Amino acid sequence: MDIRQATIDDLLGMQNANLLNLPENYTFKYYLYHALTWPELSYVAVDPRGRIVGYILAKMEEEPSEEPCGHVTSISVLRPYRRLGLANKLMKQSQEAMVAHYNAHHITLHVRKSNRAAISLYRDTLGFEVHAMEKSYYADGEDAYGMRYIFTGSKAINDVERIKTS
Amino acid sequence: MSAAAKQRQLPNKEAGLFKELLTQYELKQYKKGIKAADTILKKFPNHGETLALKALTLHASLPFPITVGALPKQEEAEQMARTAVKKDITSHITWHVLGIIAKTKKDWDEASRAFAMARKQDNDNIPLIRDSISLYLHTRQYSSAVAGRHHYLTLRPQIRSSWLGLMIAHHLNGDIEEALEVYDGLMGCIKTDGASGPEKAQTALHVVRMCIEAGEYKDGLERLERFLRNDVLSARGEATQLKAEMLAKVGRLQEAEDTYRALLEQNSDNLEYYRGFLRTRGLDITETLEAEAVAKTLHALDLFAESYPRSAAPRRLTLDIAQGEAFRDRARTYLINGLERGVPSLFVDVKGVYQDATKMAVVGEIMEELVAELEKNASLHNDATIAPPTTLLWAYYYLALHLSHPSHPNPSPDRSLKLLGIALEHTPTLPELYMAKAMVLKRAGDPYGAAVAMEEARSLDLQDRFLNGKAAKYWLRAGDVKKAEDLVSLFTKKDTSAVSDLTDLQCLWFLTEEGDSYRRNGNLAMALKRYQALVNVFQDYEDDQYDFHTYCMRRMTFSAYMALMRYEDQLRSHPGYFRAAIAAIEIYLKIHDDPTLTEESISPEEEAERKKAAKKAQKAEQKARKAAHASGGDSGKKEDQPVPDEDPTGSKLLKTETPLEDALKLFAPLEHLASERVETWTIAYEIDIRRGRYLGALKCLSEAYAVDAEDPKLHGQILNFRRKLASATDLPEPVKAAIEAVFPSILPTETSPEEFNASFLSRHSTSPRHILGAAQGLLEIKRAIDPVPSDTLAEVIAILNQITTDNVPPAVPIMLEAVDFLRSAGAAPEQVDTFRKRCTDRAPLAWVLATEDEQKRRKTQGMDMDDEGGANGNGNGNVKADV
Ligand SMILES: CC(C)(COP(=O)(O)OP(=O)(O)OC[C@H]1O[C@@H](n2cnc3c(N)ncnc32)[C@H](O)[C@@H]1OP(=O)(O)O)[C@@H](O)C(=O)NCCC(=O)NCCS
Repeated sequence: MDIRQATIDDLLGMQNANLLNLPENYTFKYYLYHALTWPELSYVAVDPRGRIVGYILAKMEEEPSEEPCGHVTSISVLRPYRRLGLANKLMKQSQEAMVAHYNAHHITLHVRKSNRAAISLYRDTLGFEVHAMEKSYYADGEDAYGMRYIFTGSKAINDVERIKTS
Repeated sequence: MSAAAKQRQLPNKEAGLFKELLTQYELKQYKKGIKAADTILKKFPNHGETLALKALTLHASLPFPITVGALPKQEEAEQMARTAVKKDITSHITWHVLGIIAKTKKDWDEASRAFAMARKQDNDNIPLIRDSISLYLHTRQYSSAVAGRHHYLTLRPQIRSSWLGLMIAHHLNGDIEEALEVYDGLMGCIKTDGASGPEKAQTALHVVRMCIEAGEYKDGLERLERFLRNDVLSARGEATQLKAEMLAKVGRLQEAEDTYRALLEQNSDNLEYYRGFLRTRGLDITETLEAEAVAKTLHALDLFAESYPRSAAPRRLTLDIAQGEAFRDRARTYLINGLERGVPSLFVDVKGVYQDATKMAVVGEIMEELVAELEKNASLHNDATIAPPTTLLWAYYYLALHLSHPSHPNPSPDRSLKLLGIALEHTPTLPELYMAKAMVLKRAGDPYGAAVAMEEARSLDLQDRFLNGKAAKYWLRAGDVKKAEDLVSLFTKKDTSAVSDLTDLQCLWFLTEEGDSYRRNGNLAMALKRYQALVNVFQDYEDDQYDFHTYCMRRMTFSAYMALMRYEDQLRSHPGYFRAAIAAIEIYLKIHDDPTLTEESISPEEEAERKKAAKKAQKAEQKARKAAHASGGDSGKKEDQPVPDEDPTGSKLLKTETPLEDALKLFAPLEHLASERVETWTIAYEIDIRRGRYLGALKCLSEAYAVDAEDPKLHGQILNFRRKLASATDLPEPVKAAIEAVFPSILPTETSPEEFNASFLSRHSTSPRHILGAAQGLLEIKRAIDPVPSDTLAEVIAILNQITTDNVPPAVPIMLEAVDFLRSAGAAPEQVDTFRKRCTDRAPLAWVLATEDEQKRRKTQGMDMDDEGGANGNGNGNVKADV
């Protein structure tokens, strides 16, 4: 499977994959908003026939905060392509881009409390930590874990360390 | 002061009120605003600008989505805006308001005209210029956009975005040189750049891209290297990719190669990086390679496979490239590895090589060997290790899918089902196995059995929306719309119907599949309704770009913006649009041929069913209204409800008096965006011939001929055209002459039509689609004879029968089409039945070919496919799924 940065031409394929995989869906305009604000952050996994079989839709937090912070709006992989390491790779590419292009300090996401596969991916494979519990976050009333991963190599941390050591 | 200006001037008191009105509008104090307007209008009822602002305020105060109660007000506001222009035609305000209202209605052309008029009255009005530039861009009037940008720059030269906006306008207008000059001009005159890091990076990247587009690789490379050196651009991703591409273009191959290596370090799953790397060594893997080149490519990829053990890409690529024994060895290793790791995706991954029939056959042979070895408990590695039982399970799964793949020359669904049966006995809880079973049954022509199997898969993992959607899709294929809707509603919003939620969310697959399902069930009205809903979604996709004309200038995401503009220009080449448009056009053609179809003939049971459904919907709506009321949403009154769908059953669509015009509207985008597809021209032929446009129809034939001269539909149409021509006696001389000049290059005059047809058939004697095409061709030939010969049907059937012979792969969809064709050709029910039986003998699982009665009986008796043995009902038991 080909893993590459998402382009405008990929957005409808991402929307399609999202509608097949997850109950949290968005209209095309929201995909446009991501791609036309942070073109480097979203990635797709594509099969040999050009079909999008997995994607990560990502952004930077817009509210001014101390450190630039990345956020995963949505990630999913079509069922026949799961357990190939695609989500893991998509996530890593997006994370690297957040740091390289936006100097991100950390990355956040929400996940359903019952989503074992995703939690295992984030926590065990990628090293995320739960930093908040949000009651009834989802439309159907399910709670969400707010998860976070702090980029160790980020410039922000380096700055702090430089101050400490000087 | 001109007369108009004098008339416009209000006395002090009213002038004050007018200012107030403007402020109220901006503060969204619409009620107060309207009151102020009314006070002015009482004294000066003909004051155009007040009228305009009142219209604008009134319009802005309306709820969104528009409600029943607000509808008249909306019309009033629109009317008022038009009157305002009439009262004061030289005011920029009246025109501006007209433009704004047209814009909210997404009537871009009218908006663009109104803004142009407004600017004529007030050329230097900044918001006006900005809006009108957006509209020029939106309606692709690029030279006007450039002019607008120029003007804007003279008014606001100190702002960066004025320059960059001009740059982009030039770029869109096809003038990259000017665009680059504007950029360099800007850089020359600003000392400190106020833009943020990411903004600078976006601009820089776009400048480099423009150089590449203009073919200025050296310049591009120099700029890019400077941007990288100065940390304007990060080396991650695009910038480095562009660098590699340009290095290769200017012939600095070693550096290009190193740069691709660096890219692969960043992402070793990106196929373009591998392709680019190999290109620097003169190896283009998108073309067929010579033996020596193959060896070199494989060697390079093997090294990468070693460096990146976690990336499947280099290993998988070698399967595309290797040939012969090398392919066999590599495929075997790849398959064993996949089976041992138990990756369900192995089949979807490897089937990419099936485009090459030899490779497909080799993979089949390997799988048979592996299954045999595993069944004997033998090792797959020539050693003492014994594979775990799951390896055999996945091998069965693979082989089952392989044997029923559409390009398999001799598919055997029976064997597939048997293999899956064994696997299921071993592991009854694996959804994948049921999914495979569903797929096999679907391909074998048993949509109902397939749906039942998919339902089993779904029931094993109820949380998974993917399985839910698949099951729904399979129910739609089986014609059960209600069951499908019940299923999808498990994952849609609760306060509205599943269909309306999925429409709002632009769920293309659902709209198409449900449209298709209604169509197969003969409910053309609802089918049209779903297809039109999909067409509307594409309109939304197009309209969505509007806000980004200004947004992207602000965020400076220029490259992404250019990509958006280009994407939108070919939006409707999307296969989703194509499919729905063709399906809807086919319905319109059907309505044209048989207008009685527009009069719904529904049985009393259906009538009752519908009434019940309507009542239920009404109740649900009331409930939702009450709930909304309780939660303080709206008052729950009818006027406060959004305007309801005025054609809930699609009957208005179906009752069209202009089916061919409706068809043309859907076709229009295809003419340019899908001209490389033969279906585009064969469907256009059907429209044109019905409109009596012979030259147009002939052009379609020529275009189709250029795409695929052997297309079976085209073949029938050529002979259809011949027949139509013969009966068209009143053609004007020039038309006749033009046709005589062109048509013989498609249907040679020296061969008889019978020969033409026979030779087509003998060229394609094992292709079901072409056999059907020849049968249709023959019917055209016979129908051109007056009177139609009595042996016509017998001869047509003789050809059709070839579809069911042993050396022709059984293609159930073509068999279905053939049955329909036979019926429409006037065959007697017994003749149709005999042919149907021949088909089911050849494809015993093809329940879609059974009569409605047979299908109904089967469903009411439950799934008897396991014990009765197929659509034939002959009970020979050769399809037991759980052997
Ligand atoms: C969650 C999801 C994105 C994972 O995608 P994926 O491509 O299969 O994940 P990967 O193959 O990269 O998995 C990486 C690791 O995550 C963990 N993981 C993934 N799926 C798992 C599962 N079903 N059960 C347990 N762990 C799982 C494993 O540790 C796995 O490593 P391993 O395969 O070496 O054991 C995918 O299952 C999916 O699309 N689910 C539906 C949509 C969804 O829930 N999205 C997340 C919303 S927050």
